[in-house]
Amino acid sequence: MGTAYPIEFLIIMGFAAVATLMVLMISLALIIHKAIEFQKSWRQERLYGIYSSAFAQILLQELPSLPPNAKTSAVFIQYDSLISPIKQRLVAMTRGRRKVHKEVLRRVMIDFAQDLSGEPSERLVYFFYVLGFVEEQLRLMKSRHWWIRAHAAREIGLVRARKGIASLTAALEDEHPDVRNQAIQSLIVLVGVDALDIIFGVSRNLSQWTEIELTVIIMNFREEAVPYLITALDSYDDSIASFAIEMLAEIGFIQAVDPLLRVLQTHPNTSVRASAAEALGRLGDGRAEQALLTFAFNPHKGLRVRSIEALGRIGTPAALPLLQKRLAKSEGEEQTTIARAIGKCGHEGRLFLEQCEQSGDSLVSALASQVLEELGSETVSG
Amino acid sequence: MATVEFLLHSYFFFVIGYFVVVNLTYTFFLGMSFREILYYMRHNSFGNLRLLVQSELTPPVSILAPAYNEEPTVVESVKSLLKLNYGKYEVVVINDGSKDGTLERLITEFQMYPSRQVYHGLLQAKPVRGIYKSHKPAYRNLVVVDKENGGKADALNVGMNVAQFEYVCAIDADSLLEEDSLQKVVKPFLEDETMVAVGGIVRIANGCKVVNGRVVNVGLSDKLLPIIQVVEYFRAFLSGRMIWHGVNGLLIISGAFGMFKRSAVIEVGGYRHDTVGEDMELVVRLHRRMREWKRPYRIAFVPDPVCWTEAPETRQMLGRQRNRWHRGLLDTMLLHKKMFLNPKYGVIGLAAMPYFVIVELFGPLIEFLGYLILIVMIAMNILNVEMMILFFIVALFYGVMYSVGAVLLEEVSFQRYPKPSDLALLLSIGVIENFGYRQMTMWWRVKGFWDYFRGKKSWGTMQRKGFAVGRA
Repeated sequence: MGTAYPIEFLIIMGFAAVATLMVLMISLALIIHKAIEFQKSWRQERLYGIYSSAFAQILLQELPSLPPNAKTSAVFIQYDSLISPIKQRLVAMTRGRRKVHKEVLRRVMIDFAQDLSGEPSERLVYFFYVLGFVEEQLRLMKSRHWWIRAHAAREIGLVRARKGIASLTAALEDEHPDVRNQAIQSLIVLVGVDALDIIFGVSRNLSQWTEIELTVIIMNFREEAVPYLITALDSYDDSIASFAIEMLAEIGFIQAVDPLLRVLQTHPNTSVRASAAEALGRLGDGRAEQALLTFAFNPHKGLRVRSIEALGRIGTPAALPLLQKRLAKSEGEEQTTIARAIGKCGHEGRLFLEQCEQSGDSLVSALASQVLEELGSETVSG
Repeated sequence: MATVEFLLHSYFFFVIGYFVVVNLTYTFFLGMSFREILYYMRHNSFGNLRLLVQSELTPPVSILAPAYNEEPTVVESVKSLLKLNYGKYEVVVINDGSKDGTLERLITEFQMYPSRQVYHGLLQAKPVRGIYKSHKPAYRNLVVVDKENGGKADALNVGMNVAQFEYVCAIDADSLLEEDSLQKVVKPFLEDETMVAVGGIVRIANGCKVVNGRVVNVGLSDKLLPIIQVVEYFRAFLSGRMIWHGVNGLLIISGAFGMFKRSAVIEVGGYRHDTVGEDMELVVRLHRRMREWKRPYRIAFVPDPVCWTEAPETRQMLGRQRNRWHRGLLDTMLLHKKMFLNPKYGVIGLAAMPYFVIVELFGPLIEFLGYLILIVMIAMNILNVEMMILFFIVALFYGVMYSVGAVLLEEVSFQRYPKPSDLALLLSIGVIENFGYRQMTMWWRVKGFWDYFRGKKSWGTMQRKGFAVGRA
């Protein structure tokens, strides 16, 4: 056998050996993975229970009241007395065991941090510091692995470590988007609405995902966020300016009309101007009508269509003659937008569409019919 | 005689060489896919997908569900689509000239009326007979389009024409989407503005418990064929597609579940009607055009957003499916042969297409010829039996290795099969599938070649048994 096919025999044997080894290794990995996971979760569950009850006690334990002239450090001495038994136990452990315990401890403390407020919350933040969790996360913020940096950025927020604000601000320029997004979330937790100033000042090229994360934050602040959004209109990063425009419309802040008009008329980027046109339409203020009428003729299609759409949203009959004129001359998406805008221009608009439905070219007639149906369904549904 | 013997031995050497190349590729894929899955898992641990339900900036999505003779299941399927956990979306059901009562059932159940919506034929397709909308506010995001029969690709093109939104999710009418699958599949578009298409993982629903159009209990079928397909799908999705995703070389997004940027699909001309592999062809064309137009773009695969589908349970149905898939692959490769080994198309021309042609397309043919030559060598009494046995053992071990590796990938990542008995069964499939199943699929694929060159273009009828309701 070997003499007949020496080379291929060796190749096949080599492959057989590698394949066997790999099958064994993969199967072994699978079994080990299952076993480790099972053992780890069992152990962690047990430890979680122990530390949860221990922390519930030390967080809710009444402390003797201090005299009015006591130094701030006196509070910390009291806190130290509460945490020192746990601290001493951790020090006495072997390195491996300590790592497991600290991991569970951190989970327990973070879970508590979500529900606590007032003095117990401050107590908990102090424990984060004295157990070395904050220093550890700050060190991890410099890791070369993005997922470690992102995790650390999240943890700094969760443990409310104000010491991490500088690191988080720096992380807004991190190369990985997940690190940047976690830093944004944590800065909001630590600094509150004022963090928007830092975020809009430092961030660049917001992705749509980041914008979605920011929307939820801003909608929680609502009017409080407006000054920062108005400042962000002047950002030289177009994604920030567009996002601020969108948020001002979403909040429905009517005083934003003037700054938005300024953006519509002067911003160098046409897409940003188109966003401003849309926002003005959503705000529905008649002051924007004249400017929007001008831009309804703009050669840039995006800006033109958004301006027409906005005129429709504002819905004043003054825009009707222009829209009527443009309806027959346009095509595709723009034509549909114009027909919809006309439909929103009060009774006269509807009347015009009804006339179009009866006469005119077949496409305009069909479009008029479609829009009238849409308006009807809107009325039905209220 | 000596010449014949020489040729036979030469082929044998060729097979060994092919075997080495293919197996090295697979081993590389398996190793790399662990890396890709790990990246995905890490990345995903930081995004809170619930924000997509809360945020006003979440882009709306149009779900396109072509339906042909789906009368028994269409209402349930649509109801489950209307209950997805996502911000703003519409469901566009395209009745592709069904001969049964699909349209009537939809009209009655959802109280639909003929709408006056204008139909814009941006993509060419068979005529539309009517667009229906519902009177009921609860179904305001449902649109039913009735059109003349033209096949799945034609129906999807009509869906693209009717869709209101920029992101369109193409699914099969009988696909079961998990509640949060839209959130997961839309995320890559939000993270990367150059994204034009994203495919999601498809899993086998046979054996799972389905309640109200949702898989509530994951399990394995009591039949062998669907279980083998579970492992096959693991290999294809978790290993193969993850790798191509990593290098932006993904050539296929399953027709059962994929999301596209509508403007990009319209720009490249939509789905082709004259191929049975319309899903793969569209993705390859997107790659081709984007590269020709020198536009930055990405086509991604996400292993997590789950779509459940019913796998064929009989050999006849499975054979038709595999035959069609192979014809689709061959057709796509021939339609875009210009890209093959062409450096202008980067990783697609130089890596993805060669892989699909050499390994996926010609693999079954080479294997089939190997079996034929084996018979000839036995007949001529020139076969080195020990050598042959050794070769089969190695092939078997490698087959087992990939299957076990794919099951491991699933186990370390998504763990959808919680029962240890299911895991053990899936592992044993790695061995079982080599005896009979592998040869059967090889034969169906070889037959696909034959049928293609005979000009067969049909899909072949696929009978669905329907999902097991209330069965664990």
